Amino acid sequence: PSLPSGWSADKDFKAVGTVSAATQRNLEPVGPHFLAHARRKRHHRTFSEDERI
Amino acid sequence: MSSETNGTAERFAIGISFGNSSSSIARINAEGKAEVIANEEGDRQIPTVLSYIDGEEYHGTQAKAQLIRNSKNTVAYFRDFLGKDFKSIDPTPCHNSAHPQQSDSTVAFSICDTSSETPNTVTVSEITTRHLRRLKQSAADFLGKEVNAAVITVPTDFKDAQREALIAAANAAGLEVLQLIHEPVAAVLAYDARPEAVVTDKLVVVADLGGTRSDAAVVACRGGMYTILATAHDYELGGAQLDKIIIDHFAKEFMKKHKTDPRENARGLAKLKLEGEATRKALSLGTNATLSIESLADGIDYGSTVNRTRYELLSGKVFAQFTGLIDQVVKKAGLDVLDIDEVIFAGGTSHTPKIAQLARNIFPEKTTILAPSTFIGAINPSELAPRGAAIQASLIQEFDKEDIEQSIHPMVTATPHLQNAIGVEFTSGETVDFKPLLNTETALPARRTAQFSVPKEGGDVFVRVCEGVREIKVTKPEPKPKEEKTKTEDDEDDSDFDSDEEEEEEIRELVWKTEKPIAELAVKGVKAGSKVELMIHVNADLGLQITAKEVGGQGAVRGAVEAPKA
Repeated sequence: PSLPSGWSADKDFKAVGTVSAATQRNLEPVGPHFLAHARRKRHHRTFSEDERI
Repeated sequence: MSSETNGTAERFAIGISFGNSSSSIARINAEGKAEVIANEEGDRQIPTVLSYIDGEEYHGTQAKAQLIRNSKNTVAYFRDFLGKDFKSIDPTPCHNSAHPQQSDSTVAFSICDTSSETPNTVTVSEITTRHLRRLKQSAADFLGKEVNAAVITVPTDFKDAQREALIAAANAAGLEVLQLIHEPVAAVLAYDARPEAVVTDKLVVVADLGGTRSDAAVVACRGGMYTILATAHDYELGGAQLDKIIIDHFAKEFMKKHKTDPRENARGLAKLKLEGEATRKALSLGTNATLSIESLADGIDYGSTVNRTRYELLSGKVFAQFTGLIDQVVKKAGLDVLDIDEVIFAGGTSHTPKIAQLARNIFPEKTTILAPSTFIGAINPSELAPRGAAIQASLIQEFDKEDIEQSIHPMVTATPHLQNAIGVEFTSGETVDFKPLLNTETALPARRTAQFSVPKEGGDVFVRVCEGVREIKVTKPEPKPKEEKTKTEDDEDDSDFDSDEEEEEEIRELVWKTEKPIAELAVKGVKAGSKVELMIHVNADLGLQITAKEVGGQGAVRGAVEAPKA
């Protein structure tokens, strides 16, 4: 979509709201993607840090 | 990842599915594919039955055959008794084999398992240990290697006491249980681990139709991670009910000719059960099946055939119960059939072609029904759980015990999932469109990127990131003047399915509606015909990082949205 006229923001970015509350659920500890997730969480890494290793 | 082999003997793990009716063993073969192992009798689905004659132990198909002549010393259908209190079990399936009894706090069987005449009391844990030991031995014989560890599948409603009892029984059989995984998740993993499978966000219904019970679960797959949204169980529904239909059909035919009911004689009934099951299975493959039993009752031999159409006619009610279970679990998850992307049929009874066809009618066109009769690439439904277990076993067998335990517990429960989808709003004139980027029930933290084409003329692009909810839009058809509409079609929701076959059905479709805006971005000076790449990263605390840039272009627009204050 094109930029509406008269829209402006600092550095072209404007936060207008927040995400609704999350629901707590149990992930199934199965599969390669979960194991990667668990690894990140235990070592408190982010996605990009994880990729570098 | 720390994968030191700290001096301990090397682990060799397999996947085991342990069922009430049958069990399977699987491993990862040299090509990296999961493969179900046949035991020495050539069975891949090994009946969960143990039998004793003169102190000799029989297992699997051989033991199952003993249900006719040696039913008192044959133990079957014991999985669900493990780790349970005698009062809470349902002993119905064991009517024709050794009966369960109370023994202290657990369930036991009184069987002659030695060559002496006096029966011994053997606990269900001990029976399980013996059964697992035989499975382990079969795997070891096939692989030529000592097997000492396993991942075992369990139903989703297995209580902690049952899990502990199973682990203890497996340990006693010399198997280290690396992990217990849920049957429906194992089935999803078996499909997702195929090389041609792509990791996508999807909602899957797993229908596990077994011999004496059936389970259904809705699983959300988000970026390759699985979350169970709802489960439903039916402890009386399964292949055994279908067998009963076959048995009754043949028994009536026999009675017409010979005036005796073979079901009244315990041995006659046992023979009918065994052969009836074989006939039912044959009807899943062919359109005609025979049944022949020597000396069924009063020394009379019996042989007959039945065709699939007749069988399907007789089983209509039971088939409806299976589809009812699927329907029920979708509702329980607060979803609609339109939300479901895949239906995975697992368990032996899923071979029945009609059940998959009925499911096909419930779900919309775009839903993939993964069963042998509806999908060419479908995996054998009986093999899904063991394959999933084998894949998981191969993934974690190098890990230290501690590593596995740590990864399994605290991580799992502590994961927040998105309540609403996050995506981009498109406005073109009057219509507002929404494209989800991160779907509902996505586990956090998560990140998705997508590319959007920009308007033809290029220029400045405006990206509005929003939260969206999906709604079901029901378009009522124009009532045809001729038909008397009020009588045939009530406007109640329940009548939806009954009226589906009529020509003018309601058109139901999924529509996304933007709920609330989160952030707005502008990418300036985009070339005509180019694309804009948008990346959204959601933190575990619900904070957002959004990056937008022109594909191939330099300089991105970046921004962060703060986490909501609780």
